[in-house]
Amino acid sequence: MSDLALFSRKPTMSVNGYRVVQSISVFVIALVVISPLFMLFIASLKDDRFQILADMGSFRAFWVDNPTLSNFREVGNFAGELAFGRYLGNSLFILGSTVSLGLVINSMAGFILAWGSLPGRAVILSLIIALYVIPQESIIMPLLIIVSRAGLSDTFTAQILPFVASPLYTFLFYQFFAQLPKELYEAASIDGASIFRTWWSIFMPLSLPALATVSILMGIETWNQYLWPILITQTDYARPISVAIATFFGQDSIYWDRAMAASVLMMIPILVFYLAFQRWFISSFVGSAVKG
Amino acid sequence: MTALTSVPKRRRRSIIARVGWPRFLQEIGMLAPAVVLMTAFLITPFLLSFWTAMTNQPLVPRPTPVRFVGLNNFLRILSDDLFWTSLWNVTRFTLWVLPVQCGLAFVTALILNQKIPFRNVFRGMFFLPAITSMVVVCVIWGTLFQYPTGPLNHIVVSLSGGHIQPIDWLGDPNWAMVSIVLLSAWQAYGFQMIIYLAGMQGIPDELYDAARIDGAGAWGRFWHVTMPGLRPTHVFVLVITTIQAFKLYTQVAILTQGGPKSSTETVVHYMVRAGFEEQKLGYASAVSVILFLIVLVIALVQRRLMRRFDV
Amino acid sequence: MGNRLLSTLVATTALMALATAADAKTVVRMMHQGDPGWVALYGKVAERFEAANPDVDIELIYAPHDAYNEKFSSAVMSKQLPDIIELDAPFLANYVWSGYLKPIKSYIDQDLLDDMTASNVAQGTYPIDKDLYAIGLTDSSVVLYGNKKYLEKIGARIPKSVDDAWTRAEFEDYLAKLAKVDGVKWPIDTFRGYGIKTEWVTYAYQPILNSFGCDLIDRTTWTATGTLDSQPCVDALTMMQTWVKNGWVVPMSSGTNQFYADGEPAALAWGGHWFYAEAAAKLKDDVVVMPLPKFGDKSASPDGTWIWAITTQSEHPDIAGKFLSFLLKDKDYRDFAVSQSAYPGLKSFAAQSPLYAEGGPMAVAFEQASKVAVPRPPHPAYPTITSAFMQAVDQIFNGEDAQKALTAAAEKIDEDIADNDGYPPFDGN
Repeated sequence: MSDLALFSRKPTMSVNGYRVVQSISVFVIALVVISPLFMLFIASLKDDRFQILADMGSFRAFWVDNPTLSNFREVGNFAGELAFGRYLGNSLFILGSTVSLGLVINSMAGFILAWGSLPGRAVILSLIIALYVIPQESIIMPLLIIVSRAGLSDTFTAQILPFVASPLYTFLFYQFFAQLPKELYEAASIDGASIFRTWWSIFMPLSLPALATVSILMGIETWNQYLWPILITQTDYARPISVAIATFFGQDSIYWDRAMAASVLMMIPILVFYLAFQRWFISSFVGSAVKG
Repeated sequence: MTALTSVPKRRRRSIIARVGWPRFLQEIGMLAPAVVLMTAFLITPFLLSFWTAMTNQPLVPRPTPVRFVGLNNFLRILSDDLFWTSLWNVTRFTLWVLPVQCGLAFVTALILNQKIPFRNVFRGMFFLPAITSMVVVCVIWGTLFQYPTGPLNHIVVSLSGGHIQPIDWLGDPNWAMVSIVLLSAWQAYGFQMIIYLAGMQGIPDELYDAARIDGAGAWGRFWHVTMPGLRPTHVFVLVITTIQAFKLYTQVAILTQGGPKSSTETVVHYMVRAGFEEQKLGYASAVSVILFLIVLVIALVQRRLMRRFDV
Repeated sequence: MGNRLLSTLVATTALMALATAADAKTVVRMMHQGDPGWVALYGKVAERFEAANPDVDIELIYAPHDAYNEKFSSAVMSKQLPDIIELDAPFLANYVWSGYLKPIKSYIDQDLLDDMTASNVAQGTYPIDKDLYAIGLTDSSVVLYGNKKYLEKIGARIPKSVDDAWTRAEFEDYLAKLAKVDGVKWPIDTFRGYGIKTEWVTYAYQPILNSFGCDLIDRTTWTATGTLDSQPCVDALTMMQTWVKNGWVVPMSSGTNQFYADGEPAALAWGGHWFYAEAAAKLKDDVVVMPLPKFGDKSASPDGTWIWAITTQSEHPDIAGKFLSFLLKDKDYRDFAVSQSAYPGLKSFAAQSPLYAEGGPMAVAFEQASKVAVPRPPHPAYPTITSAFMQAVDQIFNGEDAQKALTAAAEKIDEDIADNDGYPPFDGN
């Protein structure tokens, strides 16, 4: 973070107090945000769990003398190399399915709520806000009965289908679509496009920021699911990595060394996922599309 | 209820006469998957819990019969001091976390929306906490909060030149909730940041160009273009964050288990304790019904207030 | 485009759901928790059993410790109870009363049944029909660990057996003295760091109540009011509250390693038998193992641990029992248990554990178990009993009046029992 200097002088920008304040705040925020995670990363490179605990009490938490990858190897080999790969694959499959189904289903619903002509949309919209209020913990037992009566225990379906349609993301799409200019919709109608076509070919391509937002938020949520997969899976068949990793947070003593490595491993795929989608924010598609 | 949403009013005429069958069916078809899935996996279980709330149903089947107890569970909850404490605690949490978390999210989103150097690096960095699972976050912060020798206490003591004694962040009833607020804001602000970023992307460039032509400076553009453009986003973020805050559970369950001295007991934690540990599913369901009603009212009032101020 | 994407995805997920193929082998499922070492070990034992019994398939279902109760409940509700479950001993009465467990005697090898220690039999026995429902290789106990350096500095008497355990006066005197010793930040660690909502609270502090001459609940009338809120209990918790107030106890947020951390800030540790391994690894010969103090007329110590049971939903209880017998006799299982300083629950295993043998460093723990162990109340209301007690302890440690907190807890317990019509036949009917 020594690039403070880079912020100061650019020929096209006027150097002013605003820039300085901005640079300082970026720097401070970055420091606050990153240091705990940096500590996690450093700890994952230490192989003595007692030492990790002892170091936590001082600034040695931010320093490692003899970095080692042995924790990562141990985590990777836990229950055999194949098993770990299986968990990772399961998690990726659940993530991919939930997010892609979720994008389609929630955006369709959001679009109809914003631009459709069905009666009672306002009521549905209010209902959707109300549904978001329900905490997952409060419906987990009845949900379990429904899902297991449907014969879905220990399946991928049970980990995907209940979370595909989400009040939050339907509402987010509704809000985004409703903001888009009316001319877009009218132009499509005049061309005789069906409502499905209007959604898919006109509104969706303009919605990359919303799609990226929902993908990322939904992806994180799915990736970090914990209690539900424990309840619904019995075997390794469909078990995600979050549950496997919980072994390292044991009962008598936490295996700090491996827990830290496992935590780091757990973050990498979702970070890649985020980086892939966040590029969609970069330019304003809406602005450029409306001009034409 | 209809005033909540901005669906334009149309003249009353049969929808089929107005748009025709194909269009009608298409709309139904596009809305149906979401409605069906939410009905199956959200509404039905929740309605079941309304029924359970009026019985003495245990978590798992028992030899004793399940009885209808009417409003008995509700009366018991409302006469339990611990429930009121937990409600007060989540209210406190919400009032503290809202400005911290949304403020941080808004500021970072504003910065990341500018053409600063290494913008993508910062975008990745600022979002890291949000992708960290809560269990891991709690492991990290649990060690940061260590008393009396944790890193955070080191910083506090050395910054104050030794004038401030180490703080028992999670063990002191006066500090425990503050600690939970800090950790929660740190972990979750990325969520709001990303919504703000999307909102900022939704503001057409033309508006900024026009403002520039009118001679508006950075501040003027922010005040007259960005802020009004973000109005729906503000409402959304406020409502969503409030709802999330009222559902506070995971970090409390891992770090403080509602203590010390019930200072971090939350409504959902209270519910889980009753339902899973004491196996009183009926009672726990009644708690969730009460929470649902309270938060729903708050969310509705918020939306209405925001609307009144802005329209 | 959208339709195709959608249908492909739906088809894939549907196929995945169907892919649960039927197996010709007899499947026996076992649900367990445990740290990574144990998890790996069960896998290996299962493989060995399958090699010896090719027509059997052992399926292990792991559930993390912190979500084990939820996992168990969900298995019951979705009618998917496995054949074998691991359970925490104090919950046995609740499970048997609810009808989940089968009497186990007829399925387990006779030599193993004969091999069980008295406290192992006690933790697996249901008080109503006096039948055995669970068996374990291990049991547990809590002892008082001391740091020899500090104890010598204050000239403390080191008790050698349960019979000459410290009295309350001695103990509190030592705590006060230790508080003034250089290097001692806290005279004692009672492992508040495990959290306020953990079985540890009830498990480790109930002996203090017992030693004061009271209990969590009256074990004949099964009412808490009049017992848990009685004067001896109030005195016991007020005493502990005073230790906390005096700054004698390691605070909750200081971790669970203060006994052996750099500088050895805690002089005593009120710790489980499992703590010996880590403490001895760091402090070597400086660790002194002592019996729990005798606060009133008699000593008391806790018992009970995670044990194995066969469920009523099992279709192959005989094979399940065969596997359990195989597991309990497995050499690697026992060796690993020894390496974890596991507390023996089988006599033959005790003979293999020099740690607990006569003259061994933890011998006093074994002596305690045979002389003064008091199990946690074997009653179906136990989930509420322990939850209410934990809440009261948290309140009291943070300054609440002990009488007030214990009265509230007792009322809560009695209310639960009344709600369940007294949990017949525990109400005497």
